[in-house]
Amino acid sequence: MATLKEFAAAAMGTQEKSQANSNSLQRVKVYRLNDDGKWDDQGTGHVTVDYVERSEDLGLYVIDEEDNETLLLHRITPDDIYRKQEDTIISWRDPEFSTELALSFQETAGCSYIWDQICNVQRSLQFSTLNSETFHSMNSELRELPAVELSTLPLILKTVSESGIADQMRLAELILNDQDFFPKLMDVFRICEDLENIDGLHMLFKIVRGIILFNSPQIFEKIFGDELIMDVIGSLEYDPEISCVQHHRGFLKEHVVFKEAIPIKDPHVLSKIHQTYRVGYLKDVVLARVLDEATVANLNSIIHANNAVVVSLLKDDNTFIQELFARLRSPTTSAESKKNLVFVYFLHEFCSLSKSMQMVQQLRLFRYVMQKLDLMNEGIFDIIADILQSPDKKLVLTGTDILILFLNQDPNLLRSYVPLLGLSVKGMITDFGEDMHCQFLEILRSLLDSYTLSGAQALLLIIHNSFFYAAVMFCDDLNNVVRDNIIETFYDKHLSQLIDVITASCPDDVLPRSSSKSSGLAERVDTHNGVKPVILSNICELLCFCVLHHPYRIKCNFLLDNVIEKVLTLTRRKEKYLVVAAVRFVRTILSRHVSQLYGTDPPGKVVIYKSSVLWHAIAYIWYHFMRNMELVRDTKKSEGIRNSGHGVSFKQFNDAELHKGSQIHMLVFHDLGGVKCTSSWKLSVLLADEHLINHFVKNNLLKPIIDAFLSNGDRYNLLNSTILELFEFIRKENLKLLLKYIVDSFWNDLVKFEHLTSIQALKVKYEQCLEQCGAKSTGSTLDPRKRNDERALDKEEEDYFNEDSDEEDTASGSHTQKAQAQSVSPNGVAAGYPSLSPRSGGLVDYDDDEDDEDYRPPPKKQLETPEEDEGTSESLRMKRKLPSKDKETDLVKKQQLGKHSKPKESVYAALCSTLSHAVLPCTKAATAMHITPLDENKGPVEESHKENDPVISRSSDYNSNSGEENHREKDPAGRSDCLHSTSENGQIIGDDGPLIPPPKSSPEMAVNGS
Amino acid sequence: MSDLDRQIEQLKRCEPLKESEVKALCLKAMEILVEESNVQRVDAPVTICGDIHGQFYDMKELFKVGGDCPKTNYMFLGDFVDRGFYSVETFLLLLALKVHIIISWSSRYSVEICMLLLLWSIHVQGNFATFDAGARIVHHLTDQGDFQPDFKLITLYQQVRYPDRITLIRGNHESRQITQVYGFYDECLRKYGSVSVWRYCTDIFDYLSLSALIENKVFSVHGGLSPAISTLDQIRTIDRKQEVPHDGAMCDLLWSDPEDIVDGWGLSPRGAGFLFGDSVVSSFNHSNNIDYICRAHQLVMEGYKWMFKNQIVTVWSAPNYCYRCGNVAAILELDENLNKQFRVFDAAPQESRGAPAKKPAPDYFL
Repeated sequence: MATLKEFAAAAMGTQEKSQANSNSLQRVKVYRLNDDGKWDDQGTGHVTVDYVERSEDLGLYVIDEEDNETLLLHRITPDDIYRKQEDTIISWRDPEFSTELALSFQETAGCSYIWDQICNVQRSLQFSTLNSETFHSMNSELRELPAVELSTLPLILKTVSESGIADQMRLAELILNDQDFFPKLMDVFRICEDLENIDGLHMLFKIVRGIILFNSPQIFEKIFGDELIMDVIGSLEYDPEISCVQHHRGFLKEHVVFKEAIPIKDPHVLSKIHQTYRVGYLKDVVLARVLDEATVANLNSIIHANNAVVVSLLKDDNTFIQELFARLRSPTTSAESKKNLVFVYFLHEFCSLSKSMQMVQQLRLFRYVMQKLDLMNEGIFDIIADILQSPDKKLVLTGTDILILFLNQDPNLLRSYVPLLGLSVKGMITDFGEDMHCQFLEILRSLLDSYTLSGAQALLLIIHNSFFYAAVMFCDDLNNVVRDNIIETFYDKHLSQLIDVITASCPDDVLPRSSSKSSGLAERVDTHNGVKPVILSNICELLCFCVLHHPYRIKCNFLLDNVIEKVLTLTRRKEKYLVVAAVRFVRTILSRHVSQLYGTDPPGKVVIYKSSVLWHAIAYIWYHFMRNMELVRDTKKSEGIRNSGHGVSFKQFNDAELHKGSQIHMLVFHDLGGVKCTSSWKLSVLLADEHLINHFVKNNLLKPIIDAFLSNGDRYNLLNSTILELFEFIRKENLKLLLKYIVDSFWNDLVKFEHLTSIQALKVKYEQCLEQCGAKSTGSTLDPRKRNDERALDKEEEDYFNEDSDEEDTASGSHTQKAQAQSVSPNGVAAGYPSLSPRSGGLVDYDDDEDDEDYRPPPKKQLETPEEDEGTSESLRMKRKLPSKDKETDLVKKQQLGKHSKPKESVYAALCSTLSHAVLPCTKAATAMHITPLDENKGPVEESHKENDPVISRSSDYNSNSGEENHREKDPAGRSDCLHSTSENGQIIGDDGPLIPPPKSSPEMAVNGS
Repeated sequence: MSDLDRQIEQLKRCEPLKESEVKALCLKAMEILVEESNVQRVDAPVTICGDIHGQFYDMKELFKVGGDCPKTNYMFLGDFVDRGFYSVETFLLLLALKVHIIISWSSRYSVEICMLLLLWSIHVQGNFATFDAGARIVHHLTDQGDFQPDFKLITLYQQVRYPDRITLIRGNHESRQITQVYGFYDECLRKYGSVSVWRYCTDIFDYLSLSALIENKVFSVHGGLSPAISTLDQIRTIDRKQEVPHDGAMCDLLWSDPEDIVDGWGLSPRGAGFLFGDSVVSSFNHSNNIDYICRAHQLVMEGYKWMFKNQIVTVWSAPNYCYRCGNVAAILELDENLNKQFRVFDAAPQESRGAPAKKPAPDYFL
């Protein structure tokens, strides 16, 4: 049948355009199986279920769409002969033709509709054999509607309520054809109501309900008209199942107030507005319990359509809009403020209604409103800014709601209006008493969001490449500038403002547990400074957001101003959720740090080589970006991405470009449905990660957290879990400096909790680290204070990466493989890590691939889905292709330049993101863990460093170690304290004395030495 | 009558609270929930309830069948919201009941009684943790001078001796993403005109406990097991204060389903979590020394269903689910000795369902 389907699909396609509008639901192709076992195309037509002439049986009719001949007539049998295949095909073995027949539907909806009908008919056939009359007696009467009179109500009710699905379409048709049906029915209703004929009213209720449940849009159109709708609602007041009569009409007529901010003159608009409300009322109140999903969906779409019409009509009404904004701008005197309120509320409702419009229309509307207002020299944001400064809190909150609506449309509209930022920050730290004000957090998030793009304006392109899923975004340069500006302003001006709120509201030294006054539940708000805890928790949440979205700011802002320390004062608060929030903030910073080193998320940890540092880091950013766009959250989607087959090509980088602060430009090209685009990526290289960890150690930043953990005691609560999770994270990510710092500084306290698996594991890991360290400690000595030059930094960086990969290696237990790889090399350079010559130009060389495999950590989940495996192999294939793509890149670049000669057209994405990579002073600890460098390699690779060649290989990092030696004095302490975190000022944390066992040779060493 | 009493009365009539009241309630609840464990210890007797899905009047039937809340110790397995018409009222009532029990403690008992009960609890329970906690309270009291029962103190006290009389566990619908699709978000928007209430409630969702352990013998969770979790101890290191993730242990606990035909683990058609088979449940129960797992998450026409030789039971407490499925609902009562008694109940009769379901605002511009 698959072939049949393809065939049918192809055939359909050709005719699709011409017939697109004509009843596509019912459009089918008829096939018949011939003697050769092939499907003969019998023609295309429309299928209906109808009575077979001169009988009471129902049959399938297919009427040829060209000549209106009957293509097929098939009497539906109660026997189980029908099969539904692939959602669009119904087939059966026809007893009359004694062959297989098949209907291939153009649309799945049509297929399932007819299928349901067949099933219904079958069911009633089976039923009628048992209980013959009911079905048949009704069928004959369906030819026409009974006259609508009081006396015929029972008959009508019977017709309506007992009609099977097959009859409903016919009945709906009959009702629609009869212009007088509803007016007459409503006349009868009024008579019944006058006569208080309860039986009649109950019957009418059932009739109207039944007809509504036919779910026919044409009928809806009719009964929701101004003339009928109130009576229809009236008739629905008499539900026989509810003893008391409902007063829907009374509610609609008397209680419902139609507010008019500015009189709407267009009667059409007015009628739509009222209709919308009433249909909504009907749906939500009158028939809430009766309606099925399909009917609700239809009613909703009526409401949506109405809203869209209303908004667009009003929008085009120039005088209306002008008047509205004139009123909005009118000075807000206290006397008038109430009036003003009305307009603000109206504006709010107007904006929210626009949600009913399509994305593009919405955007147009918002842009349009902006333009209109610009013409009037009065930006809407000025108005909103006024609203936000109003003393009336309710008004302020409505203002924020409007802002959020604009933000959801197009954050860049708002970003261009800088004062909003300050107002939002102010709003966020203002106490709104009982009112809610979490909106400000949302506004700030949207304003500062560096990833999300407004829907219509951004074209999202998804790429899957070797290690990662990637997304490329396009947006015009201007927007980025605007966004950068606002982010800049935020960090310059407002961050400290927020931090101050935290510091001011946290007790200095005294532990809150003894200092805080407990004063009953109701008043237990806060004792310090009157800042509500909710505000603090919101600030914390915003800070986490900032860490995730502007990681490069961690260094500039968060470390310099001791922000982390200040936030951690929250741990002294008595509200445990604030303590939790502070811990989460630290966790976020740390996870950011780690995930930037390598993609810790699937598809696997990436071992980073010298020159591929950038490459993988980029990979991660893309992947991360995708996650933010919520596109790769599930495997199905990523499968799609994987198959989309877009190409990426990178400009090649060399060592010189990898310095801290340098910017790298790269081009990415893609082919999206024939539209070829390039995007240029600007990547700021900020190499600064160990620095962060070091900062933690130096400032003893984990102390507040450990304190909180200790004072929480044995209680198993959220705080306990959060901190344990942090420990687990540090352990799993192998953040040795922190591990060392925690165990050295706090073990005396933590030992009390050794019964907890996580604490135990922490210690075990720590000891493992010491052992490894001891094994490798024969090598050079490092003193980060001496290393000021960039070259050394680069080497450090290398060491760091290799170091880490070694760790992974150890973890995944692939010592032997690695040792073998190395032993292959005759000249002492490990074969597994060849250096790439600058000419080869690839980002990743082949041989590394195997290593990558080695370094894949054990799968996170116990279940490795087959897709993942495929992904890996595919990724490897793709990777192999990469080096050869280099030349293509240039070609493509040229092509692209030609195509996109105008800068405006060229879609552009500048993702300034941190590729932070550990380079800093304190990589020493990491380095120390590393396999002892091979001294033989020193010479050649040193040279290559000097030449600033891109050195990709693993061997280079051995050299870099030795290179470092050259730059450094020997440290008398040797590597023995390698686990000790030595910070820039030389402070050594931990006072346990030498912890490292005497150096031993590791298996690697043995091999290397050979 | 305190504010909270009044609010509970109001909620019991299915009238939503004011925004400001919701805010206050949520803040109090947050302080209580932050003290809960990922695997919340629960004492028997307890009545276990499955999905409610905003079917407020059916939940009232549930209380009729199972007994009023403070008298009966309840545990709800999540999915309070979405689908039904009264998610807001349903969730807030449960939350208010939870907060109420703890708060009423603080006002009702004087220092002396508190202290006495405390000493008694130390005496009875006798373990160090309890003693430690007790000492803390005593220290706290003496430190304060004039003592008014502190909120935290009472919470602490609750944990020491009085287990929560109502335990709320997070379900997969207690999530920002899911509620935006299945109705809670829209309901808040409709009933309050803004989504603030939704924001506050979803923030509370993040604090809800992930599972419970009744008398060390019955493990209760909304969805099921996770391949990443083989011991209950592993649940401890989940940082639950987050949106339900798309994968990982926390997601699985809330999303997985047991499945007859699966051997071991299988892909879930839901797109999150896993299907797990007999062997998985057996080994989990064995290694954690529990009798059986009690979960919800799947519609069962008969209200409850045992699987895998009585090693796992599904309890479903939303009768006539979505107002049209025609199923009955059940709750599982466990007495002191963990004897099981299922109580099956039907949807609330039409008459008791009160006024219109979703009354829109009585005024409108557009």
